Amino acid sequence: MTRDEIKDVILEIIEDIDEDAEFDNLDADAPLRDQLDLDSMDFLDIVMELRKRYQLQIPEDEYPELASLTSCVNYLEPKLKDA
Amino acid sequence: MADYQLIIIGGGLSGIAAGIRSARFGLKTLLLEQHTIPGGLNSYYYRQGQMLETGLHAMTNYAQPGDKRAPLNRLFRQLKLSRKQFTTHEQYCSEIRFPDASLRFSNQPLLLEEEIRTSFPAAVDRFSRLKELVAAYDPFTPAPWRSARNFLAETLGEPLLEEMLLLPLMVYGNAEEHDMDLGQFVIMFRSIFMEGFFRPAGTIREFLSLLTNQYREFGGELRYRALVSEIVRSGDRIQGVRLAGGELISADAVLSTVGMPGTIALTGWDLPAKAYGGQMSFMETVSLVPWEVAAAIEPRRTILFYNTRPTLCYQRTDSFLDLSWGVICFPSNFVGVEAEPYAQIRNTNAANYALWKAAAPEEYRELKAAWTRAAVDNAGTVIGAYRQEVVYQDSFTPLTIERYTRKAEGAIYGSPLKIKDGTTPWPNLFIAGTDQGYLGIVGAMLSGVTVVNQHLLQ
Repeated sequence: MTRDEIKDVILEIIEDIDEDAEFDNLDADAPLRDQLDLDSMDFLDIVMELRKRYQLQIPEDEYPELASLTSCVNYLEPKLKDA
Repeated sequence: MADYQLIIIGGGLSGIAAGIRSARFGLKTLLLEQHTIPGGLNSYYYRQGQMLETGLHAMTNYAQPGDKRAPLNRLFRQLKLSRKQFTTHEQYCSEIRFPDASLRFSNQPLLLEEEIRTSFPAAVDRFSRLKELVAAYDPFTPAPWRSARNFLAETLGEPLLEEMLLLPLMVYGNAEEHDMDLGQFVIMFRSIFMEGFFRPAGTIREFLSLLTNQYREFGGELRYRALVSEIVRSGDRIQGVRLAGGELISADAVLSTVGMPGTIALTGWDLPAKAYGGQMSFMETVSLVPWEVAAAIEPRRTILFYNTRPTLCYQRTDSFLDLSWGVICFPSNFVGVEAEPYAQIRNTNAANYALWKAAAPEEYRELKAAWTRAAVDNAGTVIGAYRQEVVYQDSFTPLTIERYTRKAEGAIYGSPLKIKDGTTPWPNLFIAGTDQGYLGIVGAMLSGVTVVNQHLLQ
């Protein structure tokens, strides 16, 4: 997957988790959590969705890698290059 | 390979919510319910063509759609249910009525503050301080038991007000007698005084259908008339469950929502079940009266919490029923509930399980009829007599509750000792529901969600 495709996947997963999610003013480098008012339970859902869709196992100590949209893409790019 | 990755015992709200979480993320899940209808404590039944709810007075934790941090909306996200499409009816206003004072509260927290300003002017600033402390307290990090009564006395120093505030918070979820844990107090204070009461549109039946449909949509399997007779151990692990008919179903993990005494009995767990038996059980009487009668009795009160004494005696009574305090709920008095031919009046009083249990069957029926009459007449002294208007009536004693829900001694709030992390001595057996610590419908569902998130998904 390309970086843009990974970004779209992340946004699609978030939209799927939260019917109120708004991406209009989303800053790709700022924490998703604060901007979208997500909590740790929502973050678990992002991880679980990635596991369900791509059989990706993300260990708990690597969850901080998913903090912002850009860091998500950086972290997932090598893992999803053949997806 | 085991038959299932997860077996959940009990199709109540915590079990179904747990099932939705595990099925949603692909675990092969089986939910076992002993009855032919889901819901556990919050279920429904039919008598003479009339559907009646067993437990639901109101749901707590009201929140508008869009408030993402509110427990109700977090729960909906976790269950992947649309909060926007979930129609709710908010309470009009509820009341705590003591001999020398009364406090009304609604889903606008300012009402309670104004009522306190009027009735306890010296305490209003301390009440604001109390609200700040409650907002700042983290009740979800495990902490040693702390007395809510001591906390209230230190913060408010207004004994009557303290007793009044404790009544709804205790009667809607405290398994302990006399006092409650501060963490539990904070959860209840927020869910009742800061967030408030509502009902889902329709009845508990539609709400349960919404949940079971979601569970099945995600591929979860649900079996009714499936009474579990044993949680089967093999060495230091749980192998699966055995049904009353003898069938053995294996699983990688088992989640029990039947409470600690029930789980102890099913596993042969080396623990004194007695220590986990709750003392607080209740009798509830549901009366159907013509709609206009209910509307005239107590206009625009949703729930009335009354006490005939200045202090709250939250304890197992030494009589069949304690008529000195109780709850009267009007399920029709929520905003936007449409008029029907009949409305319910539900009244609840503390009961003594041991006395009810000791009665012989014939005597039990007579006692139940007599105490139902006494309870309704007693409620009549609070809201005006209505016994003559009743067209249909039914009561649940602690025995009814124990028989149908397997809640030991009919203790609807379960054990005073909570298993907050949901773990057991077996690495693949977990506890969710009332005895894990969260109470009420929203709490029970969050319990199921949390235990699956922490122990089965990660």
